Parts: sequence; structure tokens; C-alpha cells
Amino acid sequence: MATRLKDIDAVVVGMGFSGAILARELTKAGLNVVGLERGADRNVAEEFTLSRLRDELRYVVRLELMQDNSTDTITFRNAPDELALPIRRFGAFLPGEGVGGTGIHWGALHWRFLPTDFRIKSVLSEKYGAKAIPETMSIQDWPVSYDELEPFYDRFDKLCGVSGQAGNLRGTKVAGGNPFEGPRSEHYPNKPIKTGTGPAMFSAAANSLGYHAFPVPVATSSAAYVNPEGITLGRCEYCGHCNRTACESNAKASPNVNLMPVLRADPRFELRTRVFVTRLVYDKAAKRVTGVVYTDMQTGEEYEQPAGIVVLSSFVFGNTQQLLLAGIGEPYDPRTGKGVVGKNYCYQFEAGGEAFFEGREFNPFMGAPGMATAIDDFNGENFDHSGLGFFGGGYIACTNAGAPPIGGRVLPRGEPRWGAGWKQATTKWYRSNTRFNTQGSVYAHRDNFMDLDPTYKDALGRPLIRLTYNGTENDHKMSRYLVDKLESVVKAMNPTHYDLQNRPKNFTIVPYQSTHNTGGTIAGSDPKSSVVNRYLQAWDAHNLFIQGASVFPQQHGYNPTGTLGALAYWSAKAITEQYLKSPGPLVHA
Amino acid sequence: MRIAVSVLLSVSASVLGGSALVLALMAGHAVAADAEHGQALFQPCAACHADRPDALGPSLKGVFGRKSAALDDFRYSNPMKRANLVWDEDNLRAYIHDPQAKVKGNRMPFGGLSDPGDVDDVVAYLKTLK
Repeated sequence: MATRLKDIDAVVVGMGFSGAILARELTKAGLNVVGLERGADRNVAEEFTLSRLRDELRYVVRLELMQDNSTDTITFRNAPDELALPIRRFGAFLPGEGVGGTGIHWGALHWRFLPTDFRIKSVLSEKYGAKAIPETMSIQDWPVSYDELEPFYDRFDKLCGVSGQAGNLRGTKVAGGNPFEGPRSEHYPNKPIKTGTGPAMFSAAANSLGYHAFPVPVATSSAAYVNPEGITLGRCEYCGHCNRTACESNAKASPNVNLMPVLRADPRFELRTRVFVTRLVYDKAAKRVTGVVYTDMQTGEEYEQPAGIVVLSSFVFGNTQQLLLAGIGEPYDPRTGKGVVGKNYCYQFEAGGEAFFEGREFNPFMGAPGMATAIDDFNGENFDHSGLGFFGGGYIACTNAGAPPIGGRVLPRGEPRWGAGWKQATTKWYRSNTRFNTQGSVYAHRDNFMDLDPTYKDALGRPLIRLTYNGTENDHKMSRYLVDKLESVVKAMNPTHYDLQNRPKNFTIVPYQSTHNTGGTIAGSDPKSSVVNRYLQAWDAHNLFIQGASVFPQQHGYNPTGTLGALAYWSAKAITEQYLKSPGPLVHA
Repeated sequence: MRIAVSVLLSVSASVLGGSALVLALMAGHAVAADAEHGQALFQPCAACHADRPDALGPSLKGVFGRKSAALDDFRYSNPMKRANLVWDEDNLRAYIHDPQAKVKGNRMPFGGLSDPGDVDDVVAYLKTLK
């Protein structure tokens, strides 16, 4: 029997970026808030330090900051007629765990979606006719527009101290930035970070072909910067180690650095770590979640935390699992297309490669995941899809992310993979290559979804989330198109060798591809086609607000975190300015 | 003029390696150091070396001539605690030029300044912090 705790104004489940933003905005509005995090606390002064962080074995290989698969994982299969098996060690994607969540080890690429992305189904219908959209493609318009979200994108940019070059300032094109981006109300808070040799060559080559290269926006401060929370960020030192771990100089944005210090000092906020929320307590008749039940992972004791407002801000898989377990909303059935919970799971369709330039020095050991230039000419509806046989797109980038000692050793195809020959080739090529990526969209498909696994359970006895996913014909065509365009730019860079890889036909759970999982509790304009409304409020529980990429109706050709943060601020504003005054549905179905 | 000298020194340093570098740093001393330029260079450092209780780095007020790891309210790394240095000109210069070479394993997330003239200017600025 769970010990019932004292009622609290709001409880936040999961302390990543969304959870931290919601906790901050709700405490600012005068609410008492409890933040629950199943992983460890992650303290900046103790842990985000040299020389601890520059340890590729610890963080990149052994995945110290990632979700513990021995407690909880998901099962996976490619198609509904296959048997799903548990992922014993994450590979293709790496959800984080602990305070900060995936917001600690992210690459900090900080994008906004295109204005047309938010109404993609309408745009495609208008441009190509409604019949052009395949019946199996279950994409839908967002219930919020770019213009509505823009002020919140701007807030999140400032929280993170984003470095970049504006391309569209209040409707005026700015040279050197992304000419395709939606209008920004303000410049980026910081100037772009430094550009590596590879990205600079890529820009020159892309521009020579008539494309529009620009520095990738990145939530890594290029100079000392004080964010609106009064927190001073350091400057990126280009150590080349922050992928899969934190930042030693407080330059890369994380909830821990950019927001948590303020929350920790606020008496209205209480953080509880190593507590695993096992279920939401759902009062179906009242359409309310009365609280959450969690297990203290150190003592095994179970507690019920009643709350006036429940913010669900765990990862995509956890959010979907909580709703299915609590019976909130109708589970999605791929055979009938009915139901919504678990629907429209999407991934990110990345593909790329590398080019080698004999005798040329690229200093690959320095850099940052966001030390990149990109073109956006082939993203979303930035180009005409007539006759192409697919929809969607993505940005194409050249990155100097840092090539650490274990993993950062790519060689041209045909070079020896071991022994003296490998050593010689590594010596020759390590410093003379640069890498490319295409960040392809994934447009939702009827057969890609999440439900509860009938067999496998987590350490606390709950059925695991079962992921059914495979790359679709549409997305493969899109990706090959992007890789072809990338190849034309790479050729114009005139490398000694290059090697670009298309995605394999079937999705596999290794090797690492992208942690950009989306969907499962999608947002929409009515309860038939979505789990949450435009304010991320659950249609079936008016005091439940679901945060994160699980609300994305589909995944566009950009990293998701910029939009995730903007949505968190947007949702928080609706709660504090509308919901608190009159608790109830903010959108009437 | 100043820039030309610095470039020359850093080129000779990178060609000749470590020991030549120390000489080059000494040579940089001959030109009058510019504390104002040092202050400008210090701005990224100031993000951490601020006089706040939650600052990532120790306060540098009065650092010149002070013993290493001397502040009671800052949690220094063990390598820094063991370093047993006095922050005189030579030690400051060597540390700012290459922090990990001077105190291996210390926690300051800074790769160092390669230009000896810049190093001198920062040292000159640090001397003004009292």
C-alpha cells in the first residue's frame, strides 16, 4: 500500500528540459512544485568538470549518462507481424537519465521548424492535391502555428544562449543566415561559434552550386553570456568531447546549468531523485489525474503524491507508456487506424558520410557537435516535390564535432581495418577528413506506432513499451535524394576520396543513429486525432499536461529540442495564465 | 607592431617546440604588457572567475603573489591542491599558456593562450585585480 503524501500544487514527472522549464514557470506563478526524477541528481559543480568529462570510454562507449536498461527498456520489432524483443543496451538512440535528462548529453543543435512544417498536411494538399498524400501517411497539421510559437522559440533561445546567424529578422532577409527560416523576432543571443575547415569548405562548395550555406544554430555559447535567469554561461572551448556528456565550461546548454540553479534555490520547488513514477492515478469520471504513484528506488517504498496539476515530461517512450498504463485516451490500433495513444511514432532519417583530403589539415580533435555549416534548400517544403515520389526533406550539413581517440577514426573504404596497415592509414587520414550528415524528416506512417508489450516487463513489473518501426518507402526516397544532393556538394569540394552511406532498408537498433524519437501522445485539434490539445493539455484529463517530442504529430527535418523547449514555454503560459484561473479544458472538443 | 612580434614568437615556438616556447615567453616580456588588452582577453574567463558564491572558478582578486589553492571557500581540484605554487609572473604565464601542462589534471576548462603577448597582457591585467 503506497504511503499517501501531502497534496502539492503541481508534480513534474521527469526533470529534463521540459520538466525544468515547467517547474520554473509554475513556481514563478506561485505554485508549490515537486519534481520527480527516476535517475540520479546531476550536480554541475561536482560532475561537469575537467578532467572527468573528457573520457570517451566512460561516456561515449559505456554510456554513463544514459537510461539504465537493467531497470527499464523497450521492446522492438520492425513490423506488426514480428515478435518484439527487449533492447538490452540502447544503441540506435540513447535516452538520458537523471536530472537534466537527454538535455545533458545532446549535441545542442538548436533549430526551429519551418512555418510550413506546422501545417504540413494542408500545405501538401494545397500544392499537390489531397490525393497526392498516400493513405498510409498519417501526417497532420500542428494545432499551433509558427507565428504563435515564435515568442517562445525566442525565450528558449535566450535561456540556452544560442549561437547562430539570423537569416530572417522580422521578415527581412539577413545575408549569411538561413534564408528559409521563419521570421525571427530577435537575433540569436550569441554570434555563431567558430567554423572548422571542413564546414568552411562545405559552405564555399554549396554556395558555388547556388545553395545557401549558413552556420548551424547551436545551444553552445560562443562568448560569456548571462541568460534571462541570471545564470552566467562560459564560452565554448572546442574541446571536442561534449557529445554524449556534459560541458565543462558551462557553454553547452543543459537544464542543469541554464535553469536548475534557480529552481534549487527556490523554496517552492522540491526535487526528489531516484524515484520511479510507476503510474498516474486517473479519475476517469472526473477527467482528472489525481496524482502519481512512485517507488523510491533506494528503499523500495511506494508513495502516492497527490497533485493539482500533473506535468508528464519523461521521454517519448515513458510518456506513452504512462498513458497506456493509466488508460488515459484510446490506444492506437494500426489495423483500424482508430485510437490515438501510441500513434505516429516517428524517428529521424539521418544519412551521411565523410570525405578525405590528402595532406590537408582539419584539426578534427577540436570542435563541437554544432561546429557545422548547413544548407536548408532541401528541407520540408523549401523545394518543389512534384514528380519526386516522396514528401519531406532535411538539412544537409558538414560537421567538425570532435573526433575522439576511440571512435573518431574513419578511414577511406578499402583501407585495412586492423594491424599495422590500419595504424598507417589512421596516421595518414585522421587529420585529413571531414564529415557530413543529412537530417531527414520522418512523415508518420500507419504501421509505425507504440503499444504495451504482451510479454516483457520492467523491474517494477510494468509492461514495457513495444516499438514497431521501420523506414518507409517515402522516407527512403527522401533520404536518397538528400544524399544525392550532398554528393554534388562533396564532389565540388574536390576530395581525394569520399564515402556516403544510404540508410539500410530495415531499421536496426544498432549502431547509433539518432535519439530523435517523436510521437505517441501527439498534439492536434480534436480528440479523435490527438492525445493533447494545442496547449499540450490531455483531452481526457484536463489537469494533465504532456511535454516533449511525444506531442510532435510527425518529425520534421530538424533536431527536435528547439521546438520542444518552445512548446514547454507555450504550454506553461497557458497553464499559468488560463488554466489556474479556471481549471478545465482549455480547448473545447 | 605588437601583433607582428607576437606572431613571430608563436611561429618560432611552434616550430621549435616546448623549450623554445619558454624562451619565447620570456622574450615576450620585453614588450610592455597591455593590461587593457588583457582585460578584454579575460572576458571569457570572467564567466567563471566571478566573485559569486556559485562561480565555477575561484576569485582572482589578489591572485598575483598568492599561493596556489589558497582560498578557503573554493573547492580546488586535488592536482591544484598539490601544486604548491606561488602565482608569480613565471608561474602565471606558464599556467595561462598551457594550464594542463603546468598543473596536470586541474579542473579549469581552458586550453590556454598560444600567443605570448596575449599571455603577458592577461598577467598584467591579473596584477590589477586587488
